[in-house]
Amino acid sequence: MIEADLTIIMPEILLAVFAMGALLLGVYTTKDKMAPVLVWVTSALFLALAFWIGTTGSGSNAAFSGMFIDDAFSRFAKVAILLSAAAILVMSEGYMARRDLLRFEFPILIALAVIGMMMMVSAGDLMALYMGLELQSLALYVVASLRRDSAKSTEAGLKYFVLGALSSGLLLYGASLVYGYSGTTLFSGIIEAANNEDGISIGLLIGLVLVISGLAFKVSAVPFHMWTPDVYEGSPTPVTAFFATAPKVAAMGLFARVLHDAFGGVVSDWSQVIAFISLLSMFLGAVAAMGQRDIKRLMAYSSIAHMGYALMGLAAGTVLGVQAMLIYMAIYVTMNIGTFAFILSMERDGQPVTDIESLGMYSKRAPGKALAVLVLMFSLAGVPPLVGFFGKLYVLRAAYDAGLAWLAVAGVIASVIGAFYYLRIVYFMYFGEDREDALDTGTPPVLYGFLMASAIIMVVGVVNLFGIEGAAQAAAAVLVE
Amino acid sequence: MDDGGPLLFLIALAPFIGALLPGLMIRAGRTVCAISTAVPTVIALTMLMVLAPAVLRGEVIQAEVDWLPQLGLSASFFLDGLGLLFASMILGVGLLITLYARFYLSGEDPMGQFYTYLLLFQGAMLGIVISDNILLLLVFWELTSLSSFLLIGYWKHLPEGRQGARMALAVTGAGGLAMIGGMLILGNIAGSYNLTDILQAGDAIRSSEWYLPALILILLGAFTKSAQFPFHFWLPHAMAAPTPVSAYLHSATMVKAGVFLMARMWPVLSGTDAWFYIVATTGLVTMVLGALIALFKDDLKALLAFSTVSHLGLLTMLLGFGTQAAAVAAVFHIINHLTFKAALFMTAGIVDHETHTRDIKRLGGLRHLMPITFLIGTVAALSMAGIPLFNGFLSKEMMLEEASHTDWFSSPYAVPVMATIGALLSVAYSFRFVSHVFLGPVRDDYPHKPHDPPFGMWAAPALLVVLVIVIGVAPFLAEGIVTAAASAVTGADLHPHLKIWHGVTPALWMSVIAVVGGAVLLALHGPLDKIWAAAPRPEAKAIFDRLMAAIVALSRGITEIGHNGAISRYLAIFTAASVGLGWVAYASSGLSAPTRGLLPVEPVIAVGWIMLVVATVSVVVMHHHRFRALVLLGIIGLSISAGFAYLSAPDLALTQISVETVTIMLLLLALHFMPKLTPRESPTGLKFRDAVIALGAGGGVGALAYAFMMRDIETISDYHVANSYEGGGGTNVVNVILVDFRGYDTFGEIIVLGIAGLVIYALMHALLDGPAARRLKNTDFSQDRSRDRHPLMMVVVTRVLMPIALVVGLYIFLRGHNEPGGGFVAGLVVAIALLMQYMASGFAWTQERKRIEYHTMIGLGVVIAGLTGVGSWLSGSPFLTSAYTYVHLPPIEEFELATAMLFDLGVFLTVLGAVMLMLYSLSRIARFAGATVNEGPMDYDPGLKDEQEAER
Repeated sequence: MIEADLTIIMPEILLAVFAMGALLLGVYTTKDKMAPVLVWVTSALFLALAFWIGTTGSGSNAAFSGMFIDDAFSRFAKVAILLSAAAILVMSEGYMARRDLLRFEFPILIALAVIGMMMMVSAGDLMALYMGLELQSLALYVVASLRRDSAKSTEAGLKYFVLGALSSGLLLYGASLVYGYSGTTLFSGIIEAANNEDGISIGLLIGLVLVISGLAFKVSAVPFHMWTPDVYEGSPTPVTAFFATAPKVAAMGLFARVLHDAFGGVVSDWSQVIAFISLLSMFLGAVAAMGQRDIKRLMAYSSIAHMGYALMGLAAGTVLGVQAMLIYMAIYVTMNIGTFAFILSMERDGQPVTDIESLGMYSKRAPGKALAVLVLMFSLAGVPPLVGFFGKLYVLRAAYDAGLAWLAVAGVIASVIGAFYYLRIVYFMYFGEDREDALDTGTPPVLYGFLMASAIIMVVGVVNLFGIEGAAQAAAAVLVE
Repeated sequence: MDDGGPLLFLIALAPFIGALLPGLMIRAGRTVCAISTAVPTVIALTMLMVLAPAVLRGEVIQAEVDWLPQLGLSASFFLDGLGLLFASMILGVGLLITLYARFYLSGEDPMGQFYTYLLLFQGAMLGIVISDNILLLLVFWELTSLSSFLLIGYWKHLPEGRQGARMALAVTGAGGLAMIGGMLILGNIAGSYNLTDILQAGDAIRSSEWYLPALILILLGAFTKSAQFPFHFWLPHAMAAPTPVSAYLHSATMVKAGVFLMARMWPVLSGTDAWFYIVATTGLVTMVLGALIALFKDDLKALLAFSTVSHLGLLTMLLGFGTQAAAVAAVFHIINHLTFKAALFMTAGIVDHETHTRDIKRLGGLRHLMPITFLIGTVAALSMAGIPLFNGFLSKEMMLEEASHTDWFSSPYAVPVMATIGALLSVAYSFRFVSHVFLGPVRDDYPHKPHDPPFGMWAAPALLVVLVIVIGVAPFLAEGIVTAAASAVTGADLHPHLKIWHGVTPALWMSVIAVVGGAVLLALHGPLDKIWAAAPRPEAKAIFDRLMAAIVALSRGITEIGHNGAISRYLAIFTAASVGLGWVAYASSGLSAPTRGLLPVEPVIAVGWIMLVVATVSVVVMHHHRFRALVLLGIIGLSISAGFAYLSAPDLALTQISVETVTIMLLLLALHFMPKLTPRESPTGLKFRDAVIALGAGGGVGALAYAFMMRDIETISDYHVANSYEGGGGTNVVNVILVDFRGYDTFGEIIVLGIAGLVIYALMHALLDGPAARRLKNTDFSQDRSRDRHPLMMVVVTRVLMPIALVVGLYIFLRGHNEPGGGFVAGLVVAIALLMQYMASGFAWTQERKRIEYHTMIGLGVVIAGLTGVGSWLSGSPFLTSAYTYVHLPPIEEFELATAMLFDLGVFLTVLGAVMLMLYSLSRIARFAGATVNEGPMDYDPGLKDEQEAER
């Protein structure tokens, strides 16, 4: 019994033991001197775990009386989370070290956040949900304000924390309503309670809506998105990169879990709410990004818009919808890793620059990188034939097939608006003013590698999307049944 | 599938594979590079010619390979008449452009790059016209935008080139994305993404309610690509590109993609009023407007660009008519326009190349200096003007014929008159091209001495001009391809006959009017030009720029509303949105009628209720005074505890009251070091907004509670009541919930509490290093201090109370499992007892008598609780399952021993440790702020009275 439970949750336990061990080691021995090594070891561990989970897991297993679920869905999400976290960690090492930000706590906090995320996507119970969510969030609050001597960074962390606390409160209020009206915190019990013949009870419904509000905050969907631009801008760039990738996958995964595992029988009751949030996110993200001059803020709005598209898949409430969401997230994360590899390399005289206009005529000085960014931007905009287009196509189809044609059409219109600001970056790079204070052209090899790899994936991936369709479909099928 | 299938794949792939060649071959020299570019084109063209006979017979060649089947995407191609026409145009002109560019580009231009882009573009274009799958078509469609963007921006040093590329990209890119939506809708209506299937589903699509949205979205894509009004502005600005690019993209290929799409979708989308009025009207307006602007352009290429816009309008209009004859005319004009316009562009390029200017006002008289160019340009221009014996005449006649019997909003004259005006203007600018560039006196101020270019440069336009004349004289030669293409467009079996002489028809009269009028207009060009220059007219580029600026400003405005950086606004939005969502859920749920009545309001309740409300409102109003707010908070807490007690929840009351006491005490100690008032930051309006939102949220929660309580619901209490004793071994349900049912939560909570204590302790370290510490040091607290800080009475009383409190704590702890109490409350009670000691005798004195470190206490508590939980694994039960037994020790009565009690001990220790650690942290601040450290139990020790007096 216990052994079986522990076996199922072994990757999380290993990671947790590692994180705590590393913390003790760090505190009592070399402190920040070990940080670079720790970064590499941590990401190596992430990679190993991703490999382990991706290759050995099979079937659906529940541990701790159903509180923790290990199935194709959670494995898909975990692999995505672990891989992206590993990539971001490796990318951040040089940047953080150069700016004297590389404290040994950084990789440990990331590891803790990752454990939280793994819990989130495996949650089979409101309690496990909350534990995972808070473990992740608390670690993220801290890394957001990692640059303690910067007012912007601390402000970002504080804002994130205050708003995060409010959203957690809402989520808890909702969760307690759900518990009160279903008599259980287990998703498998809630779904039975929700499926009565008179329709879902109002207590459950309001509980559900409040839980959705709380989760919408975590995926930074409109109107719970306000923290995103400030936090993206204020945090050190590697942290921003992290925010834009793994936690988004985890929150989306958790979102899908709650909606399908606990409320899968009453799709019509939440589909419209999600569709509405999705609509707002797509449009606000697209419109607000147009006026941005700071590339990190721009990426914040971009992520809001992208979450809108992912939510569109969720709003469909079908297997195809969840599959589309998973594919979308996988593609989104890959694009963002490449884009942030570039943003991390944006420097002038060794100082980080985030002004978009500083990219003027970048193509002349660094044609290779400019081309890679061009590919990424077009992919982010969803322009065929790059991989980003297929992600959009998937969610649009899922929404259309589920009878949300209006949402799909709105999504297309939003993508037209959104193309504007991605293309603006390309415009600056290829046709902008040639500026005196141009960016440095040198790029650390790690960042260069990720940038190029990501761009190449965007092009080569069109052949068969690297076969993630099948995995995503299996994952979605398990979740939706 | 036909035998031709594999060939079709090769045709589609050849340019893409070939795109690698120029880059590799550029080192071998410019000519080799050009030849290596021509090779894939020639191969593709040859294969196309192999397939051509079958297509001309009416066969459709198909090829398909699965790509992403789940998305409905497959790499499927088909070749019918229309595809054949466009494919041969793309490849044929591509070949000529390759030749022309070899001579046109100077040695400094990176030629390999240019040819690579050119081949990529060619491949994308080719893909559009032979795609069977509409998603594949979309892929190629956007690829043309991308590669054309690279081609247009090829000369990076020209600022107009940059602007042009930006507009071209923004307009066509956005249009293409809109088209995705339209295509998806079409595919979903037809149930397949294959064009061959969609083309069969015309009736279903036209009768669908989604027809109009799909039509508009697709037309957006087509109109932007083909530069139709009001999207016509980007095309002339894209002319800053090298001339070979203009000639290729803007005569033969890219801009025709929109026309191609309309022709392709013609069987599905045309035939409705919406189609006619949108497409034909847009075409008509574009035709006249484009021609008008072209007449007054002085830049040779701008003139041609607007004439292209005008001719694209003509094609759009013909397709918009929706008749078969019009479709034939459109197809024929596509061919004719290609021949003369490509030739004209190349001519313009030659003129530019030789004279180093494209300004018509600086040209003239070139016929003597460049006779060959003159000949080519004149023939092409006359064809564009629609003069008989050139091919432009034939298709223009057909267009006028169609226009002459088309009604527009029941007016029989609107379309013919406008069409004639368009033709007239067209004649005028065509003549102008010839007369102002080649005729007239030879000038002596050309920027560069002109002469005819080498053969390689004029060979391509010459070949096109030959075609112009051949088709113009013997139109039946083109009949085969026109028949095949027109049949493919209309989906019907057509047999048009192309003739020069149709007899004296209205169209002929319209033509005569156009030619005469055009000549007159040209004669008047000088004065008209002045009027035109003086007249205010909207400059499309300025509008575009202003529009962009406005959009960006709007976006900034929207952003500012939501994101001004103030967290209060974020919280307001957040809260309002949650209330809104809650309201939606509430409203959509169809609440049943209440099943319970209201309870009678007891006077005690009423008093308590009023007290609570008054205190709450007072806190909000007076929160700037920190102490007052704290006192009011105390009142609120006590009222709630009283409420719990009154409503038979002694456990909650006990917990609440002890928590209240501890927190208020700690807060009081902390507030001492802070300013008495909080800063006032919110203006009145903001306060009002916040009040509304707060009332909304509070009201929402209240309404929710009210709604729930008015109805009978199955709650979870029954379960706990029923299982408390059996499962947890306790009759106090609340305690059993805490330590057993929800033991996980409690375990988590005590950890949090312990961490909170540690964090306060740690923060204090940081705090006492920073600016806050300096403030503390510089503040004079002496005025606040009592002369008798450790009064005798208090010391004595707390000493007496101490053992009593400890016993009470123990009692509460022990009875906890069955009666109100428990480790949490016990911890707080003991903490209060200790707190009192600290308050009475000061920190240092008490600290000396402390036996256990608070850190240790917290750690011990968590460890004990954790081990208790793990212990249950030994018996094979889940974490924190409690076990209990009854123990009989002889002197005492039989009593129960539950593992839960051990767990409770952990809770107790943690709570106590955490509270005391917080106190310790506070005392550190106090000492830092200058509080004196007393060693004795009280300031004034009666036993030392004499000595002290002696000292004084």
